[in-house]
Amino acid sequence: MSSKKTMTLNLTDSEMAALESLSAEKDVSKTAILRQALRLYQVISVRLQLGEKLFFEDAVSKDKKELVVL
Amino acid sequence: MTRQKVLLRHVESGGVVDADLIDRIDLVIAKRAEDGWQTYLATARAEALAAKRPFPDLEHDHWEWERKVSITHRLLPYPTLGIECEGQVQGLMLLETDGHFARIATQAGSPVVYVNLLATAPWNLPAVTDPPRYRGVGTVLLAAATTLSVDLGFKGRLGLHSLPRSEDWYERLGLTNLGSDSNKQNLKYYELTPDQAQNLIR
Repeated sequence: MSSKKTMTLNLTDSEMAALESLSAEKDVSKTAILRQALRLYQVISVRLQLGEKLFFEDAVSKDKKELVVL
Repeated sequence: MTRQKVLLRHVESGGVVDADLIDRIDLVIAKRAEDGWQTYLATARAEALAAKRPFPDLEHDHWEWERKVSITHRLLPYPTLGIECEGQVQGLMLLETDGHFARIATQAGSPVVYVNLLATAPWNLPAVTDPPRYRGVGTVLLAAATTLSVDLGFKGRLGLHSLPRSEDWYERLGLTNLGSDSNKQNLKYYELTPDQAQNLIR
């Protein structure tokens, strides 16, 4: 497997609280949550660059709302 | 792309040989696999026809590795792994690291690494080549997927849908059979728990 590099990450209290909450909810480490966030951000970025759009669909009404990603 | 040494068993000599486990295969390797495997299969089919021998209907000779790798090779959520030995691609695997969650009650909802495709070269399949050239290709690849799951923080959890001819093999490796999945062409769904993962990668 690929070797890893270490970095320091500065988070606000609320960001850290969100990270800890997701880590507990998903039963994975905080590092795993951030690595997953990067994977998802990258694949969304690539697809948006290809001209695709990202939507959330309401389960009942089927209304779609576009998610705008920076 | 990184490489690490693994061992395969050379069936005819009974010895073990060095092979490379490749993390993130590129288009060159995918094309080499596709060309080599299809050429071998075409020859083996022709020989079987000439000898009036039946030839197995393979379940995984249409997976278009070159096209799939061209789509996924730069995307982090779709790792690909391969094994090369003596200049030939012996097996390939495409994984998905996100969007798949465990179904076994004790781990339901926890993320799993999903094995999307796993294939060994046709000369390693006993149904095509008797005796096969190498053994252990699939096991090394599945163990690598398990190691990746541990590395990602998923504790070794894996999920996959098995082609019918591979069901016994997954069960021998210790995966739990959760039955037919009507959302996936009724293929059987298998899952690996952290405890089972330890047995697979030790």
